[in-house]
Amino acid sequence: MPEHRPDERRPAGHRSDGHPPDSETVSAWLDGELDEAARRRFEAHLAACPACAAQVAALRGLAAGFASMRAETLGYDLAGVLDGRLAAAAPRRPRTPRRWLVWLPATLGAAASLALGIGLGSALPGAAAAAPPALVGAMRVFDPMPPGSVCLGPDPCYTKGMPR
Amino acid sequence: MFGERTESDAAADEDEVLARARAGDRPAFAALVRRHQDRVFRFLLRLVGSREEAMDLTQETFLKVFQSLSEWRPEAPFRAWLFRVARNAALDLLRRRRSLGFLAFDELAPDEGEAAWPDPAPRPEQRLDDRRRIAALDRALASLPAEQREVLLLRELEEMSYAEIAATLAISEGTVKSRLARARAAALDHYQRDTGERRDA
Repeated sequence: MPEHRPDERRPAGHRSDGHPPDSETVSAWLDGELDEAARRRFEAHLAACPACAAQVAALRGLAAGFASMRAETLGYDLAGVLDGRLAAAAPRRPRTPRRWLVWLPATLGAAASLALGIGLGSALPGAAAAAPPALVGAMRVFDPMPPGSVCLGPDPCYTKGMPR
Repeated sequence: MFGERTESDAAADEDEVLARARAGDRPAFAALVRRHQDRVFRFLLRLVGSREEAMDLTQETFLKVFQSLSEWRPEAPFRAWLFRVARNAALDLLRRRRSLGFLAFDELAPDEGEAAWPDPAPRPEQRLDDRRRIAALDRALASLPAEQREVLLLRELEEMSYAEIAATLAISEGTVKSRLARARAAALDHYQRDTGERRDA
């Protein structure tokens, strides 16, 4: 995992001015996660510090943007879709073979993207990451193909029928 | 759909619904899914950056939850457990992408990230400004490493407390605090560079 250290790129004036609050304090204050003493200390500082006030305003703008992401919805009734599949899947028996029936489509999706990845990997330009979701989706058309040719897992593809 | 319930109503009978779902009651589980599906979806969408994969992961998450609901103990907050299942599924996907040789989501250059990221579902009531802001935020999110992205999303989208985020991700509250501050600083930096200088009316 890439190690970013954005803290070190904090607005230059913030530290050189000798401001006591660090970015963790500002962030925790916004979240209401400072204890009473720290909260008062920061708020007293904030009232007199335009740099911190600007930082707070900017972070609040960011938070408002995230808030508007909460309008996003899945767009369909997943519960209804799942219910049919759950009828075939026994709860509290996670090690039974039936579990594979439930997971098989996802496995096939991964297998399909692997197959495509091998074929297309070298040809794809920089924007390649846009491709997999669409391609995986397109490959769903081939779900009923005989298992085996794109099987990643050990036995299940060979011993079970296809779900549906 | 399921917008009739208020949040407090939902919280009040969550325990009962959970108890019935744990006993294998499918209608109770369906109620649980309806209550949480959109939140899980929007977390996954922003975590993996692909609408289609987020939809698959949402389904995968709830199947996994149904199958292992008996392993969840009522003492632990259900939401933290649910989002942990979702997050683990997403990290598996991100790792799989990497092993398949595709660029990891957090390695995309901003321009490529923009291309790879689907438009947020255009809704008539959503203002253009909102969509622009979200697009810029999406690019900022895409620039973060996954460990910062997940912390930021649990806080900003789910409004979890630091304690709940810590429980969800199995890290300390101190780590939540510092990681969140780093994530915000990096996201803000990216966002401001993205939107600040240039303004397309």
